[in-house]
Amino acid sequence: MPLPDLQHPGTTTQLDSPNRLDLVINWSHKNSLWPLFFGLSCCFIEESTAFTARYDIARFGAEVFRASPRQADLLITSGTIFKKIAPAILRLYEQMAEPKWVISMGSCSNCGGMYDVYSVVQGVDQIIPVDVYIPGCPPRPEAVLQGLILLQEKIAARERPSRAVFHLGGGIQGTTRPFLVDGQTKSRDTRGPGYQGIPTRGTSELPPAFRGSRSETMWTPPARRIELSSADQTLAGALRERLGDDFRQALPMSDMLTFEVAPGRVKEVMRYLKAESSPRFLRLEDLTAIDESGRRDRTGRGVAEVREAGFDEVYHRRGISYPDFTLVYHLLSYDTAGRLRLKVPIAGEHPATPTITDIWPSAHWYECEVFDMFGIRFEGHPHLRRLIMPHDWEGHPLRKDHPGRATQMAPYTRADAQRHQPLDASLLVAPISPEEEILLNYGPHHYGTHGLIRFVLALHGEEITEVGIDLGYHHRGAEKIGEHQSWHQFIPYTDRVDYLNGAANNLAYLNSVETLIGIRVPDRAQFIRVMIAELFRLSNHLLWFGTYVHDVGMMSATFYTFREREMILDIIETITGARLHPAWFRIGGVAMDLPEGWKEMVDEFVRILPSRLKEYEKLITRNPIFKGRTQGIGGLSLQDAMEWGVTGPNLRACGLDWDLRKKFPYSGYDAFDFDIPTATKGDCYARYLVRVEEMRQSLRIIEQAARNMPPGRHLCEDSRYCIPQKEDTLRDIESLIHHFINATRGPKIPKGEAYAPIEIARGEQGYYVVSDGLDKAYRMRIRAPDFATLQTLPLMAVGSSIADFQAILGSLDYILPDTDR
Amino acid sequence: MEPQTLPTLNALSPWEPGILSLFVYAGIILTLMAFLIALTGWLGVKNRTVEKVRPYESGVIPTGMARFRYPVPFFLVATFFLIFDVEVAYLFSWAVAFDRLGWLGWLQISFFIIVLFISLGYIWVKGGLEWGATHRR
Repeated sequence: MPLPDLQHPGTTTQLDSPNRLDLVINWSHKNSLWPLFFGLSCCFIEESTAFTARYDIARFGAEVFRASPRQADLLITSGTIFKKIAPAILRLYEQMAEPKWVISMGSCSNCGGMYDVYSVVQGVDQIIPVDVYIPGCPPRPEAVLQGLILLQEKIAARERPSRAVFHLGGGIQGTTRPFLVDGQTKSRDTRGPGYQGIPTRGTSELPPAFRGSRSETMWTPPARRIELSSADQTLAGALRERLGDDFRQALPMSDMLTFEVAPGRVKEVMRYLKAESSPRFLRLEDLTAIDESGRRDRTGRGVAEVREAGFDEVYHRRGISYPDFTLVYHLLSYDTAGRLRLKVPIAGEHPATPTITDIWPSAHWYECEVFDMFGIRFEGHPHLRRLIMPHDWEGHPLRKDHPGRATQMAPYTRADAQRHQPLDASLLVAPISPEEEILLNYGPHHYGTHGLIRFVLALHGEEITEVGIDLGYHHRGAEKIGEHQSWHQFIPYTDRVDYLNGAANNLAYLNSVETLIGIRVPDRAQFIRVMIAELFRLSNHLLWFGTYVHDVGMMSATFYTFREREMILDIIETITGARLHPAWFRIGGVAMDLPEGWKEMVDEFVRILPSRLKEYEKLITRNPIFKGRTQGIGGLSLQDAMEWGVTGPNLRACGLDWDLRKKFPYSGYDAFDFDIPTATKGDCYARYLVRVEEMRQSLRIIEQAARNMPPGRHLCEDSRYCIPQKEDTLRDIESLIHHFINATRGPKIPKGEAYAPIEIARGEQGYYVVSDGLDKAYRMRIRAPDFATLQTLPLMAVGSSIADFQAILGSLDYILPDTDR
Repeated sequence: MEPQTLPTLNALSPWEPGILSLFVYAGIILTLMAFLIALTGWLGVKNRTVEKVRPYESGVIPTGMARFRYPVPFFLVATFFLIFDVEVAYLFSWAVAFDRLGWLGWLQISFFIIVLFISLGYIWVKGGLEWGATHRR
């Protein structure tokens, strides 16, 4: 087979035939490539799978993944090239040994892929030269191997290194292609070159214009409306009594008690709700904002009502029914398993509002994020700064007037990557005594950080005296994307919010959407969803098991747990057709019915896993070295965990029996028999024990789901919101029309809002969806478990040694795409 | 002893301790090392840009100097190691010749070992072997 020409057009040179030295050196180069251990996002999961047993990249002489660029000569840019990480990528590339090669892995790295969003570089070739592109989202591990083989072929066929190696002048080795420049050697336009100046389809429907959306002509029933429980009514009454005109119950409610409070009285209400009210709301679950300037009927309906309700300072100026911004606080009560939403309307171009960090210390990051994304200042905040976006970013991305797409902005160039350096470490921690302490950057490129995050450790000897955390290296703008993709189109983006949990993310999103529209999902679909969500939980925990044991110094566990993980991925692939990101759940059900042969695979897995788990536990659970590394390390008190909003296994390891599958049953979890494992110590070992036991419980659920799988439809019959089942569309015209409308334009979702989080593998993930009655969300807020968990890291890590730091990081099982979103 | 037929070869034999073989061996090693280092230093393309020569620290620009005042425990451990390591040299030299030194030698080395144990106990009690978090800001 002739080798495709890998030279860039315009740089093709006539190559001399290789001499014998060329052959020897090329042979050595191509058979001992040393990749840099560097992952950006989802693709790296598949890249790392390539060096486990089933794929075994060692067969191609490239298994020595190096932690330092000094020892590496192959950069595989696996994942999304974030603007915040681009300077680090360029530096790593520059610091690698000569000669060096680059493989761009995955659509994001190749061209931005599905992330045409303000925070993502549209192709790594804009900052460094690329030899081989691997397509896919994400590419399978076999594709990594093929990419490697292509690179080897390129080295053998197109490189003549001997003259360069012996300083004889000339010679070709390593990457010789230039990096590309938008508009000259490449086009960022997803439609191809030649469309400059023509806005992409649907642009006019987006804020701030909102013209010509065809959803305007569609009718839907109003959003689901719930009745208040007597406890909620009592609480609302008590608040009305306290606040009088500064209080207004917001209607309608689709999910929980919601009320509006005037900005001046937020702190008072918060104090009351946290300490005095009945029930007490101990957890600040989420804090975010909405830019209301793009509302379509801002001056219409409801104006009179709000003017009467005592919010004059916010609304009076223009007679508007929406303020400039709304702050949204979600609170949670552990006593009664209840939630509450508090909305605060604020006015002004760059408004300010009182901080609540003195009531909830956990509000620190949330308020920073709101400032970063919306430009709302919090008076009295201890250190208000940009948290997610680069420190020198201009504008506030979640404002309606900030461009959403990267292609609407100037291209990111190599010069940008040289100019926009991350903040100096000394600015991320309190001043240190330079004679005794040292600042160490732990990440963004580090083996132990499990993704793109940067910790700045102030060290006194080996002891950590302070932890500074720099987030945002993995910010994919998922919330902004939610505002320009239709309700269905957004589903694939949710898969990638927590890329180890695949379709379980779909469920978190759909749970909120389905709460808002109030449709009933058929039993069969619910069981399928539960089974797949639990398979992903298991897959996540198996991966965590291997990597955590690796984190504390034992190499081999990864190779074993990835064996079972592959079994799970095989099942997922048989059912959904994809491995990591199936995007397989739909509004009202799942995309397809289960295929033939699924039951046998699941049964086989359920039969095998218990004995394997026993084997792992035998190796690790009572291993004295493992216990020595984890027991009594990284302790977190239950009170802290509850107040800081720590969720999932990390919360249960502190001793609280709290799992949304039991407390707020969704998707038919109440039909299953399973236990919630807990531990008491709250240290790394407790978190380990909880996760291992959770694997057994997940297996129980999977077994029950497979055994009792009900017959029936896999999609809801209400075609107003759902894409009808394919076989129906072949039988009647109504289904065909709805299929066409909902698959192209997307369903119209009635005006309203809902927040209904679920329990994914690492905690409570929830989507706060706000609809303005269009085919796309008005605001898409993602509440991520790891954002809250990571904020508590200094509580666990300060005072311990740097070796323990790694044990703590691994035990938290956090992931960056949902921390930064 | 047998008469030696090839004295020069025997002088290089690893079984015959001798100063000549040591020098020859050292010479070969040094030449080989010099050759390898020179070759790797010369072969291949060198690229000394600003970024390339900058210290690698997780992909960002490092802060501060790597030269700073080391905390005391590091020195303590190093010193203890040095002391006890040097003392092992005495033990070995005694062990090689223990039969010729007789009971007097045994008594002397026993005294030496007892003193060592006492000093180890002293260090232990004083907390010199404590390692881990002690500093608080």
